[in-house]
Amino acid sequence: MIRKKRFTLVLVIALAVVVAFAFGACGGGEQPAEEPPADTPTEEPPVETETESDDVEPAAVKVTIAMLPKFKGENYFDAVKVGAEEAVAELVGEGADVELLYDGPPQNDATNQNQVNILEGWIAQGVNAILVSPNDPTAIAPTLKKAMEGGIKVLTFDADADPDARDLFINQGSYDAIGSGMVKAVASKLTEKGYGPDKTANLGIVSSAKTDANQNAWLDAIKALIATDEYSWLKIANEETDVYYPGPDETETQKQSGTLISRMGDGADQIQAAIGLTSMATPALGAQYESAASKPDATKVTMTGLATPNALKDYIKNDANPLDTGVLWNCMDLGYLSVEAAYQYASGTITPESTTMTTSRLGEREIADKVILLGDALIFDKANIDEFNY
Amino acid sequence: MEQTSLRQAPDGKGKFKKMLTTEFYLLVFLVAILVMMRIAAPDFYSLNTIMTVLNYFSYLLIAAIGMNLIIITSNIDVAAGAIMSVVAIVIAFVGKTGAPLPVFMAVGMVVGLVLSWVNGLFITKLKIPAIVATLATTQLFVGALPLVVEGSIYDLPASFTWLAFRAKLFGALPASVVFAAVITVGFMLFMRYSRFSKKLYAVGNNKYAATLTGINVNKVMILAFVIAGPLYGIAGTIIATGGQRVTTTMANGFEMTLIAAVVLGGTSIAGGSGKIIGTVLGAFILSLITPAMNYIGMSSDWSDAVMGGIILLAVVVASISTLTKKKKTIVVPDAVVSASASSSGEVK
Amino acid sequence: MADGMETLATPKVKKRFGVNFNIALILILIALIAVIGTVNPTFVTYNYLMAVVVKNIMEIGLMALPMTLIVITAGIDLSVGSIMIFSAIAGGMAAASMGDGMGVIVTLLVGAGCGLVNGLVIVKLKINALITTLATFFLFRGIAKGITHGDSVYSYDFTTFAGNTDIKGVPLVLIVFIAAAIIFTLLLSKTGFGRSLYALGMNENATRYSGINADRTLIIIYIISGVVCAIAAFFYLGRFTSVKFDVANSMNLKVVTVIVLGGTSILGGVGDMRGTIIAIFIIAVLNSGLTVMDIPIDVQTIIQGTVLIISLIVYSILGERAKKRRVIEVSKEDEPRLVDKAPA
Repeated sequence: MIRKKRFTLVLVIALAVVVAFAFGACGGGEQPAEEPPADTPTEEPPVETETESDDVEPAAVKVTIAMLPKFKGENYFDAVKVGAEEAVAELVGEGADVELLYDGPPQNDATNQNQVNILEGWIAQGVNAILVSPNDPTAIAPTLKKAMEGGIKVLTFDADADPDARDLFINQGSYDAIGSGMVKAVASKLTEKGYGPDKTANLGIVSSAKTDANQNAWLDAIKALIATDEYSWLKIANEETDVYYPGPDETETQKQSGTLISRMGDGADQIQAAIGLTSMATPALGAQYESAASKPDATKVTMTGLATPNALKDYIKNDANPLDTGVLWNCMDLGYLSVEAAYQYASGTITPESTTMTTSRLGEREIADKVILLGDALIFDKANIDEFNY
Repeated sequence: MEQTSLRQAPDGKGKFKKMLTTEFYLLVFLVAILVMMRIAAPDFYSLNTIMTVLNYFSYLLIAAIGMNLIIITSNIDVAAGAIMSVVAIVIAFVGKTGAPLPVFMAVGMVVGLVLSWVNGLFITKLKIPAIVATLATTQLFVGALPLVVEGSIYDLPASFTWLAFRAKLFGALPASVVFAAVITVGFMLFMRYSRFSKKLYAVGNNKYAATLTGINVNKVMILAFVIAGPLYGIAGTIIATGGQRVTTTMANGFEMTLIAAVVLGGTSIAGGSGKIIGTVLGAFILSLITPAMNYIGMSSDWSDAVMGGIILLAVVVASISTLTKKKKTIVVPDAVVSASASSSGEVK
Repeated sequence: MADGMETLATPKVKKRFGVNFNIALILILIALIAVIGTVNPTFVTYNYLMAVVVKNIMEIGLMALPMTLIVITAGIDLSVGSIMIFSAIAGGMAAASMGDGMGVIVTLLVGAGCGLVNGLVIVKLKINALITTLATFFLFRGIAKGITHGDSVYSYDFTTFAGNTDIKGVPLVLIVFIAAAIIFTLLLSKTGFGRSLYALGMNENATRYSGINADRTLIIIYIISGVVCAIAAFFYLGRFTSVKFDVANSMNLKVVTVIVLGGTSILGGVGDMRGTIIAIFIIAVLNSGLTVMDIPIDVQTIIQGTVLIISLIVYSILGERAKKRRVIEVSKEDEPRLVDKAPA
């Protein structure tokens, strides 16, 4: 018996160490754990904020904004986060009490379920506003509705959820504008290289997962555009094989981009233009072109796509690489605008009926149909790429 | 496989039977795929496609050889992908400073060695079964990375991507393939002539018997992990240098493909058997699947199912051939036959 | 603490340290709840415990029950997550075209079929369970991906009901889980079938000679595993309103973590259902509790890994000592005082 007790003691001590570790990790984490008394039942905080901020303009009430990207650890969302933090710093500088929580799934496991797990924790804590970029717009809807029922303001940024599952959507640019940005970039380069109505060209596209709302919308915009007379010489020959869906995983994206590159060339059964629809895919196209054994003739093919300028800089500057243009929007401004909108909405400065909102950095933005539009697509090439650093 | 051939009766049929190894079947299967691709999609044989396939094949093979050594000792390593992810991030830190390939690859090999050695210690010193020990360390490695690196490391200099972008033999053959070839030949010689390799098989076959013949079982097992570590390091380096950006999850989950390549190559998960040449064939077949499907016009959505089906088919064929072989060759009392048949199956 | 342990332990000393393990696990569970509850009181509200902590783990919990049986026989099933997703997707597609009834039937059939495939390959073709289920992990998930082309499949009335129904504040899934837990506990500890599983795990050949139909027993538990995965699929699909092939990836290893933490040896022959059940709740509290404390997901992974390693070390130390003690018992049978077992 004595011996047995000792075993158990060992066990208990060992696991007490873990608990201590958990504590340590908690202390090491960014958030000090002093707020719990404030967030009791989930319904209360929003009621407070609304009533108080209605009559007292500078909100003395603490506003906690929780931001959930599709996944962490990639330049695009990093840049968004930088913008979000700038907005928080600016608000704090103006005397507001704002806290930003930021967490997301890892890049190789960017599933809806992981996003839901994180959201559940925030809902239970009673944060004031949630900013989310959903991996799956429909699947996340019930959780977002639950948050709304609990009085939390729900905003989407970067990618939308089902419209009835969020209060506002901060859209980086209209799908058509971004889609046409890419098609025009491809078309003008291909025309220079001798393609046109008399010589059709095949498109190959690297998307993300099949359920990604943005990529699907852009793809639809591209398809609609190449169905028009002006661009009818651009074709997607076989949607089964010429549109790749590697998901957000980096290595898989590299692999499938490599397959696409090896199918490029100027033959009718080859692919003349590659478009990357994610900020992983476009640099992967550039890198796979560089590492290809016999590179497709750069005077016969072209590549473009969405990505942050930093990720494409070397490829765009390199004349031997047919990746000449990149399309994006200002991601730091997107983060900034998202946090501003979340704060103003949670503190009552803007309401669902508002038609405009104002920020000190970006000036006025229109709110139409519960959507706030960030601005125009940003197209960068050799001439202007050095102006950006993100 | 040496053992199998010894067991064969030395009559006339023996020679032909000797050829009917797992490797032989795999080779036939591989040739069949290649011929089919020639007929169905001649485009597949463009220089580019071949080199893209070979590049993936090279790092899959290098890491799979390490996994093969571990599996021969009847262990398994599900932390391999996590280790390669750690290697990728560490060498990106080093490479960011402009250090050349030999420097950061050496760093990668050391990191791989140390982490793999930790796994070996857990398994031998604490007597934790390999699958759960490496499952636990995977969580530590995977969890630690994002704490060290916020996001990805990008804008890596040309010296970092030199291996993937510029280092080509005869202007076409990626240097990574040369690495893989050298390593493969080296390990084939090592497995054939070194005394240590015999110990690997002995430990995998029967730990207790190995102990009785004076082999230090723990040392052999740890060494298997220690040898595998630098191989993961090289594979991780090839993966990381494929682009100007390194993320924290680059090789997570890759261990499943490694194990699949080794198993497809005829190495028994029970340990004590398996040839490097089998792993080479297994890795090559797996690296063909996705691009081959793309060329014959099938959506890559089916590639996982095809991969699972091929592995299952391979082990089923191997199992049926051994089961029937046993029935034919051994003419001994029934009880012994059933005992040997069942002991060759479920292994603890 | 020690007193309580002793009084509880005495009547069941026969089980050696098994009971003490479970008590230690319960203590850990209570300690975790206390610590997290102090840091953030929201955690210990009934609503949060039920709606988040419990609901988030139930599918994994359900799958861990039959998996415990499999691991006790020295087998393993790495394909459970893939079976769940495949059956959920096949059922969802059937429901969309042929109605709810077909959806339910197809889900269960697919689950049972996958289990049967695993069982037949492992038992009849004598292929190692780890390899078989590694291959079927790719195969089932791959088929799920192929038939949906990587797209989502949506919930139907029955799954929506299953995933979102509360009976007097208790989620339906918890009631089903408790019922299943009781059935599996009794099956393992009180029936000849359960005992034959331990025997198979300790020495399969000897068990075969003792007249137990080992083949049938093993195939049955793999089928049970498949069916339970299909049942978990109903709740999962209902709770998330849609599923996609990619969620299965990390699920298998989570189930293995639960079982190992619960004290079942991956080498077979040792383990009990109560340990698994307590471990399920420990993992649940760790997952949801750390989220509530705003600890980033990455740190949660590390903590889970640490818990797993420590429990493995403790089990390994205890296992070694138990082995030594057994040797003492046998060699010194003439001196029963040395044997620290109470009379039966």
